[in-house]
Amino acid sequence: MDGVWVFIGADSVIFAILFLTFMQDRHADAAVFEASRQTLNADLGGLDTLILLTSSWLVALAVQAVKRDELNRAPRYLLGGVLTGLMFVASKSTEYGQKFAVGITPATDPFYMWYFTLTGIHLAHVLLGTGLLTFAWRRSRQRRFDSGNRAVLECVASFWHLVDLLWIVLFPLLYLMRMAS
Amino acid sequence: MATDADAGPIRSTQLEPYPTDFTSWKFLAWMGPVFLAAFFGLWGVLAGNIPPFPPSASAEEVWQNYHDHRLAIMIGMTVCLSLTACYMAWGVAISQVMQRIEGPNGIWSKVEMMGATITCAPIMTACAIWATAAHEIDSITPQTAHMLYWFGWLLIDLAYLVTSFKIAGCSIVFMRDRRAKKLVPDAVSWWGWVTVASFFVVNAIPFVTTGPLAFNGVISFWIAFFTWFFWIPSMSYFIIKAVDRIKAEDAADGRRID
Amino acid sequence: MTLLRERATWVWIGLMMATCVTTWGLSKDAFNPTVAVVGIFLIAALKVRFVILDFMELRHAPVPVRMAFEVWVVAVAVIILGFWFATIAPG
Repeated sequence: MDGVWVFIGADSVIFAILFLTFMQDRHADAAVFEASRQTLNADLGGLDTLILLTSSWLVALAVQAVKRDELNRAPRYLLGGVLTGLMFVASKSTEYGQKFAVGITPATDPFYMWYFTLTGIHLAHVLLGTGLLTFAWRRSRQRRFDSGNRAVLECVASFWHLVDLLWIVLFPLLYLMRMAS
Repeated sequence: MATDADAGPIRSTQLEPYPTDFTSWKFLAWMGPVFLAAFFGLWGVLAGNIPPFPPSASAEEVWQNYHDHRLAIMIGMTVCLSLTACYMAWGVAISQVMQRIEGPNGIWSKVEMMGATITCAPIMTACAIWATAAHEIDSITPQTAHMLYWFGWLLIDLAYLVTSFKIAGCSIVFMRDRRAKKLVPDAVSWWGWVTVASFFVVNAIPFVTTGPLAFNGVISFWIAFFTWFFWIPSMSYFIIKAVDRIKAEDAADGRRID
Repeated sequence: MTLLRERATWVWIGLMMATCVTTWGLSKDAFNPTVAVVGIFLIAALKVRFVILDFMELRHAPVPVRMAFEVWVVAVAVIILGFWFATIAPG
């Protein structure tokens, strides 16, 4: 399953290209980007970060438990990972709902086109990752992972940490980056 | 989950007692790079689709672009239209390699063959539409030129799922290969998954004319096309080598090699 | 507490605290924008690095794999901060 690193690496490079293009477009339209950025809810964005960090930590604990053959603990941690993943989905849905309620859509301006595109692609990653974690949780309940058989679990975990680290960059990029004065 | 692949690699003793035409097989495998060179060079560079003329352009600007580059667009599009058939021929070579993993009646090798063939249809038709716009440019209105230009892009981009199916089929089958050294390494199969994932976002192109999702944008054009442009030569390289490896396997099994 | 014996737990506590510092501290108007933005992105880069090394467990991965991800972190930080400094406020 080492090939999964090609996927993770390619995904990281694609996101780096998106960050670069976002910064280019921001450079061309700085005032609009700053005005719209200020209308985002940074508290909710920060909360999202805390949720994903916790989720990533729980999944890391599950891998450690499996490595030590503590097979009772792993499903509990993985279930925690699934639930925190769902919390992120709920939080993002709330945030989108708040935007739509005041008439903000991707068509509002270039900043919001980027906001919905980047967070939307990231949310697709979260949904895929939550699905994969659910699959891993069910397998771990059936005792199908142990210290000698954990490649699939580690692939799922690595993908989930990727989802976490992409958000760690996306959050300040979209919500916190004030304009130079 | 029991699959054909669980039985191990398909050896020639399980196949019908006909000799395999390795020369034609290898010739077809080389059609992947030929297609890529034609598509990139003629459709992309000569006809001016890399980068694309912007979707935000007015009807008059589109008309002027066709008018100014009429000959280059006509040559690029018509020659690319012909050479697109190489993608179909290449798909047959890949499909045949897949059958040595999932068996002569494997289901994904059929998806590969049909997917590669149907991928040609939107590309050929889009080339014909753009060639027509260039050919007729002095007798059509800017609105008609604009319509034909968009028609081509909507067709060539939104038909992506046909190609997604065939790329997914390749990744599934080549990852199941039980040979100690796989015919196509996992890295290429995982790159295939990246390519499949990158295609979905182009669904947004009818609704935007600027930004990352527009048909000239960083996601819908640069990422979606270039993941595919990288997949084609990577897959070709290992398919061409796989033909030699399968020939050696057959020889080791004492099968007649023509 | 078995959890406290895990390195991942200490990393998680550090990451949570760093997030609180950036979200509810550095981003406030009390800091001048340069200090705030540079600080926020250096902390973000550090957080990403901990996720890669400790959660993804690349700390003991082959050097080329680890280097590829370390380079990614540096490249992303340089791209973002480079463009930020190049983008001057109008007026």
